[in-house]
Amino acid sequence: MAAELEAIGIVKRYGGLLANDHIDLAVERGEVHAVMGENGAGKSTLMSILYGMQAPDEGSILLRGRQVRYRSALDAIAEGMGMVHQAFKLFNSLTVWENVVYGLEPQRGGFIDRAAAIAKVGALAERYHLQVDPAETVGRLSVGVRQRVEILKALYRDANILILDEPTAVLTPQERDGLFTVIRNLTADGRTVIFVTHKLHEVMAITDRVTVLRDGKVVAQMITGETSAREIIRAMTGRAVNLTVEKGEAKPGAPVLKVERLTVEGAGKALVDNASFVVRAGEIVGIAGVAGNGQTELIEALTGMRSPDEGHVEIVGHDVAGFDVEHHRAAGLAYIPEDRAATGTARQASAADNLAMGFQHTPAFARIGLLDYKAVAARARELIARFGIRVASEAAPVVSLSGGNLQKLVVARELAHQAPLLIAEQPTRGVDVGAIEFIHGLLIAERDKGRATLLVSAELSEIMALSDRILVMFEGRILAEIPGERADEETLGLIMAGRAKQAA
Amino acid sequence: MSAASARRLLRIPAVPLAILIGVLLGALLILASGRNPLTAYSAILVGALAPENLPDTLNWAVPLVGMTLVAALPLRGGMVNLGGDGQLVVGALVAALVPLYLPAPGPVAAVAVILAAMLAAGAYASLAARGETRFGIPMLISSLLLSYPAVGIASYVVGFPLRDTTTGLAQTVMIPASVRLPAITGPLNIGLFLMAAVGAAVVFFDRRTVAGYELRMRGLNARFAGYGGVRLASQTVRIMFASGAIAGLVGAIIVLGSQYRYQDGALVTPGYTWSGLMAALLAGGEPLAAIGAGAFFAALQTGGFAMQRETAIPRVLTMVLQAIIILFLAIRHGVGRRSS
Repeated sequence: MAAELEAIGIVKRYGGLLANDHIDLAVERGEVHAVMGENGAGKSTLMSILYGMQAPDEGSILLRGRQVRYRSALDAIAEGMGMVHQAFKLFNSLTVWENVVYGLEPQRGGFIDRAAAIAKVGALAERYHLQVDPAETVGRLSVGVRQRVEILKALYRDANILILDEPTAVLTPQERDGLFTVIRNLTADGRTVIFVTHKLHEVMAITDRVTVLRDGKVVAQMITGETSAREIIRAMTGRAVNLTVEKGEAKPGAPVLKVERLTVEGAGKALVDNASFVVRAGEIVGIAGVAGNGQTELIEALTGMRSPDEGHVEIVGHDVAGFDVEHHRAAGLAYIPEDRAATGTARQASAADNLAMGFQHTPAFARIGLLDYKAVAARARELIARFGIRVASEAAPVVSLSGGNLQKLVVARELAHQAPLLIAEQPTRGVDVGAIEFIHGLLIAERDKGRATLLVSAELSEIMALSDRILVMFEGRILAEIPGERADEETLGLIMAGRAKQAA
Repeated sequence: MSAASARRLLRIPAVPLAILIGVLLGALLILASGRNPLTAYSAILVGALAPENLPDTLNWAVPLVGMTLVAALPLRGGMVNLGGDGQLVVGALVAALVPLYLPAPGPVAAVAVILAAMLAAGAYASLAARGETRFGIPMLISSLLLSYPAVGIASYVVGFPLRDTTTGLAQTVMIPASVRLPAITGPLNIGLFLMAAVGAAVVFFDRRTVAGYELRMRGLNARFAGYGGVRLASQTVRIMFASGAIAGLVGAIIVLGSQYRYQDGALVTPGYTWSGLMAALLAGGEPLAAIGAGAFFAALQTGGFAMQRETAIPRVLTMVLQAIIILFLAIRHGVGRRSS
């Protein structure tokens, strides 16, 4: 019998870059097929080709043995493809059923048949155990539930093959387990799932087969039950990688960051609600929580990107609450922001210009208001070499850098500040295994040199691996503080879901 | 045209290609109206660049390039100053009125007048900036809207209370000869050197100073600049002050160097502000390229006047050329992307 989906010899070039180099992929009906690879391995390109968003330069796609040609994603959807993107494509102000039926509304006499639509969406949700209230407004739903709405959207359009692009990046462990149940229900019903991810334990937990990409080529195809995490990593990186972070006992010193009764308001409610904590020299304090529970606003308030409404923030004894970013940096803050592309870099600017940001007033670079571009270039070359940033030269714009290299550039710049306080927000999000290991090693080394680090991450394994103490945030409040060595995924997950008492 | 030769054409640097296309389309227009394109273009060339006409071109280029810098400086940081007309008028009015009441020896007075004009126009421009930083009015709107009262009030002032009643026009009394800018040759005065110095200063600011670096980074990603400690609000005010001050200098040069009085409409009618804005957009705010584009437009426009005199082809043609060139530069990226 022909495979459900087969891609043969897919080639896609972007200028001189060969993003997909004769990729063959065969996915059987009813299986969960993982597509893995580091950043820039060609996963996203391949998925956008399978979903009709881009046309391949060479190669063909076969559905159940029949060759198909897509002019756009609409053609792919008509052929039974569905995709849940990493960034959801939903109307937040509309209800669940409106989002699901959008573009394919059940009609009666030229009007949308509201009752039929709600019934249909409700029945679909019931059938696959997707717990969603069709009448709820999407903007009020948690991220995990929004993802279910995306899946419903695809199912409503009769998707037989569902591509899930990094579906667990924004979920709590409990929500992730819920998603896995949904995936099992889908495959039991004869539907096929292509699961794009970085995360090994998920691949081991849910998938039937794995295709590993590296540098645009397929380097391995394995049956999950017959392989190991270590083998998959070796295929992805071409080398064996140590998965655990090795670190000794923390030796906390004097408080570097003091936060007292900090409150940030927005949209009529407290986004950060009366938060108090301390970060000391020589320790890493992790903030765990499902995305959207006030972590972003807390960090904005601590870095001067936003003024807190109430409370007190002290960096190395300087009161900084309500002052601007420059004031915070001068007091001793270095900051790795959540979004390296939107905040952490200017993509059209050169690597040297990017590496100089935040240093432009320091004596090493500036004299009587003039910027010493020679010194800027020299420092850039040094950092590029020391951190192994793969860029053509310090004068090249950083727009061509892969996610991992761009992140290394941001980390290199912020660590070069030698500031007593480092706030690291999602320091390894969307970064490949090699770069994760490298950045984790740096953060531990900085801790041992006496730096105080506040770490925010949606990745529980990262929080648990690095943190000496863990604060759990839920709806703007800090619900619990747990010593790093006593934390486990189960307990943290329950607190992250707002059930502190159950966890205790 | 085959796809291959189209691709080869696209490899020609964008600016010459856009000019070439503009010239070709312009030629078709002239042909369609039954005249000879070669005659027209040679009239433009001679009118703009022949030695005897060069001073006229330069004299036209001084305010045009000046207003290009007015637009380019904020644009470098991703900000748009649409209030050039208002700032120009404020500077010119101050330059026309201060000499009438300032008892000082010539050169000292001239310097003081120029500084006063720059200060006044700069302050006026920074009002628009404060509108954005304090009250959240987008500067695109506040700068444009502040232009109208400036132009209107200036028109009233020279039309009624401070009108030179000896003439029939809405204009102020002539300024004393001692504060006028010395001429170089023909209509050309030392305003040319002042403007060259300002142009050099803007290029130096952009390429060498910390503030120039901060402005450039803001233009590429404002959030990144803010994250790196750049004080965006005060930067907005400072840059707009500088931009307005250059507009004030342009106004002062026109009054002290060419017209010797404030003449209602004389500053706004030639459209320096908008030609300058187009030139700045064409260069993406990069100062040296903006200066080049401004000078090119000045040559095109001066040549257009000559062509109209010599050949009876209306000088509107040169404005059409200007528009076509900008249009093609703007769509080039889209065309290039689709073919690759």
